[in-house]
Amino acid sequence: MAVHAPFKVGMKEIYLPDFKLAFIRTIHLPANYASFIVPLWFSKLDLRDYLYHGYNLRIGPVIRSYVQQSRIRQGQVPSPTRPQYKRWHRPRSTKRMTVELERPFAWPERPDDLTAWNKEETKMANEEQGPLGKRLGPEGDQQGISNDRRTSMREQAKALLEGREKWKPGVSRGLGTSG
Amino acid sequence: MHCTGAFLLRSALIPSIPRTTTATTASLPAAFLLPAFTTTTPQPTARATFSTTPSAHARKDGNRNRGVSALRHTGIGKKQKLSVSLKDLPRPVLDPQRRSKVQVDDDHGLWDFLPTARTALRTPDELHAHGRGWTVPELRHKDWDDLHRLWWVCIKERNRLATQWYEHDRIGGMDGGAGMYGEHEGAARDKEVRKTMKGVRHCLTERWYAWENARVAGMEDGEVDLYAEVERGEAAYLPRGEESVEPVSLGSEDDARTDPSRTLPPPNSASAASEARV
Repeated sequence: MAVHAPFKVGMKEIYLPDFKLAFIRTIHLPANYASFIVPLWFSKLDLRDYLYHGYNLRIGPVIRSYVQQSRIRQGQVPSPTRPQYKRWHRPRSTKRMTVELERPFAWPERPDDLTAWNKEETKMANEEQGPLGKRLGPEGDQQGISNDRRTSMREQAKALLEGREKWKPGVSRGLGTSG
Repeated sequence: MHCTGAFLLRSALIPSIPRTTTATTASLPAAFLLPAFTTTTPQPTARATFSTTPSAHARKDGNRNRGVSALRHTGIGKKQKLSVSLKDLPRPVLDPQRRSKVQVDDDHGLWDFLPTARTALRTPDELHAHGRGWTVPELRHKDWDDLHRLWWVCIKERNRLATQWYEHDRIGGMDGGAGMYGEHEGAARDKEVRKTMKGVRHCLTERWYAWENARVAGMEDGEVDLYAEVERGEAAYLPRGEESVEPVSLGSEDDARTDPSRTLPPPNSASAASEARV
């Protein structure tokens, strides 16, 4: 390359880097600023070098960096199917860096219609399955029973006692009509 | 008026003529009366006006910024005149809808972090539209430059997927679990990219070991000179022709059995006849 970098390049050459950078949309910053989530061991000099050599991006002299500590939580990472209590830990912190761009960049507009991502259906499914999950969970006994279910159970019991219906085994706990 | 030293000096040097309040300045006393009026001892006269009250003719203060402080929020002073008037100050456009759109260059480097279609988020269908990763036998044909380029293509795709992941979370939200589709497809795509990267590393490692083994063999071999400069005509392979090289037969012991030109040895008739089987 005939064009030299606008800063002093380091001596260590890394041909096969093995990390990823995420470009974050920041609506509170002007268009000539960009924010990235970088590896925790990354430095400002690394970011400047990476953006120049990897993306041909020239940035201003000042880079702002801060580490966001995560809150303590329970469970295992990656999260298994069952909730795991008492395994208190603090997940890894996140490092964010904000750079000033020489040429402004504005993110494209967010999509208005989210049917391609099936957002509506997923939301409906979550709303429907939420109470079911709670009933099947460890605090299932504490969940109240809705009046519809009470009425339904009363009617089923009445039918059984009057002989209109015969009892059949095999229906698992918690399934059936919502309640 | 206050007492000055000059006045005292003047009164000492020049014989002062005592003046009364009623005396007029026009008429002077007669010359023969002068000795009577002269005073030999210098006396500081009390006639000079002396007052501590500042008069209107005080020295003008040329400091236009007197009393004006940004730190104390005093505001603009009465004598301060700025080049811009307050009513002409530009006001920021608070409504984002009314702001002018930012013109982004087509060749901006940050476009590489976003989908190729230059949208904010890839749909699950777009994410799913990928093939399998490169296999190691396919990568073995490629040279270093191609492998290096492929590695960086993979790196940029991973960055794009990481950007997508955060944007997806922001738009869809967690919603107590899966907020919207796309996460699984993105993970599958990332997996294929990682497989390709692993293959590239595997190929390069294989090549390095082959090179290293050859280098070690060359160092250990007496007939090979690794430090020879071939451009200058120095020979890298120097076979030892002084010692008689024994023809090494590369055959095995099995050759005697499998060689078709060889015939069976004649039977020992004497021993055969003697060992008559009953």
